[in-house]
Amino acid sequence: MVIIGENIHVIAQAISTAIKERDAKVIQDLAKAETKAGANYIDLNVGPMKKDTEETMEWLVNTVQEASDLPLSIDTMNPEAMEAGLKACKKRPLLNSASGKSLSKEQMLPLAKKYNSDVVISVITDKGMPPDVDSKIESIMDTVTYANELGIPNEDIWVDPIILPVSTAGEGQRFAVVCLEFINILQDVLPEIKSTVGLSNVSNGVPDDLRPLLNRTYAVMLDRNGLYSAIADPLDEEFMNLIQGKMPEIVELIYRTMDGEDIDLSSLSPKEVEYVKTAKVLTGENLYSDAWLES
Amino acid sequence: MEYEPPVEAYSGVVREVTIGKGKKSLKIGGENILPFHFFDQGSNPNPAKFALEIIDMEPQDWAQHLVEPFKDVIADPVKWAKKCEEFGADAVFLRLVSTDPAVKDSSADGAADIAKKVAEAIDVPLIIYGSGDDRKDAEVLPKVAEACDGMNLLIGPVQKENYEVVGKTLLDHGHNASALSPLDINLLKELNVKLCKFFPAEKIVIDPESAALGYGMEYSFSLMERVKQIGIITKDNMTMMPIIADLGAECWKTKQAKESKEQGLLWEGITVLSLLLAGANILVLRHPETLKLVKETIETR
Repeated sequence: MVIIGENIHVIAQAISTAIKERDAKVIQDLAKAETKAGANYIDLNVGPMKKDTEETMEWLVNTVQEASDLPLSIDTMNPEAMEAGLKACKKRPLLNSASGKSLSKEQMLPLAKKYNSDVVISVITDKGMPPDVDSKIESIMDTVTYANELGIPNEDIWVDPIILPVSTAGEGQRFAVVCLEFINILQDVLPEIKSTVGLSNVSNGVPDDLRPLLNRTYAVMLDRNGLYSAIADPLDEEFMNLIQGKMPEIVELIYRTMDGEDIDLSSLSPKEVEYVKTAKVLTGENLYSDAWLES
Repeated sequence: MEYEPPVEAYSGVVREVTIGKGKKSLKIGGENILPFHFFDQGSNPNPAKFALEIIDMEPQDWAQHLVEPFKDVIADPVKWAKKCEEFGADAVFLRLVSTDPAVKDSSADGAADIAKKVAEAIDVPLIIYGSGDDRKDAEVLPKVAEACDGMNLLIGPVQKENYEVVGKTLLDHGHNASALSPLDINLLKELNVKLCKFFPAEKIVIDPESAALGYGMEYSFSLMERVKQIGIITKDNMTMMPIIADLGAECWKTKQAKESKEQGLLWEGITVLSLLLAGANILVLRHPETLKLVKETIETR
């Protein structure tokens, strides 16, 4: 799985300050750490970036490129910042992200063509977030067709089904299952297309110490269904080990849980039990609560 | 060709909870079928029960037509409780409103004294709720549990903030716990998981919060329905508990119920019938005529 390192993210106060004060070291240390940990892309999430847009973006891209050879994912909703970012990239970048909204189709997609970048396109449209597998597929087919007409081929498009928090009362678990199914059939509907997800959103709202477990387990499940890439934390060593095939026993257990097998927990180690219980929450088999490991 | 209607059978069974002791007891829960699915396989050994609510002080803001049936006894919780019995309530629900720091902040000892007197005076089981202020309830409910030692009452609301303290004393004095979470199935399950670490699951009743018609009842409906389905269909151990719908107070707070008696009875009655369909096992009402109306409706179905 292609990992887009999520760590340079403006919501983190330290990053926001570093960008404002042009403190290259903070940014470069993170970029180096992500590179060393095995990330394939570095995501630069700069938010809406209302002030000194072009100059800031250029500085940030160059700062990171001095520290790492990895290609970049330019992550902003601001088309001006996006263009400045894409322009400054030495390697073929990833435009993160466009959607089926009219404004995004008009402003973002042409940039992907102009700068010959890969592009993340989410399933969101002017009508909002499609709630089930069928409507997600329908929405994305429309937007992909539009992109094709602009001259962007399927293999340059990374579809994002939009992951929502599994802890959302009542509906969260259904959303988790919907995304799994979506990824499973995507390749059949749109050949050569790629896919990506904002992985850690699945654990938004969950107690901090429990979040990695949900992220890791869900990544393994999505990977099995054919997910191409994820925006995730490469500094989570266990996560990287799992998706790089270094923990085959755990992966096997998660697969068996996905298949509905009734696994005897008493024969497992505490860590294995945690993965099985987490997979059961993500398949919707067990009702979610913050205490899902305790019951 | 003859038509054979499909019949569902379910794997989950709601735990049966007994409230009270000996002759003064009732059972709720125990069903292995979805509410009113008479056409499926399974049964509900304990049809829904109805409690009438009293409070531990003379009500200040109740509508005249709600006070009317109790007007001679309303200053005395013991007499009021006995009156509820006369009206045919399956249980009496005593809410210790006066202990609320925002009302009278009356003492835990005083509340325990009233609770005990009421419990001893009536021949139906008693349900006791604190004011809902989680900190004050952590003082009041342990005293109440102690004063009513061994009576096997249903006491609550046990909440996320006070379940350790309150749960422990309920256990020590042999009572059932009513576990309250704010309209959220994930939080509801979490509280049950935590409570069950030291408290028997067979003595827990779920209070998912019951909103009144027009004031969010559909949320309560969906939630109860889901709790039931997840218990009965997917056999989730932590939702297979009976449900209490504490709805009377919510209904009689509404502008519509306060405006006229007829409107009030219908407001409360429709809320009762709706939550009954959603799967509530015991429902708490305020007006005795609603109780009569609901019982008639059920009997003539």
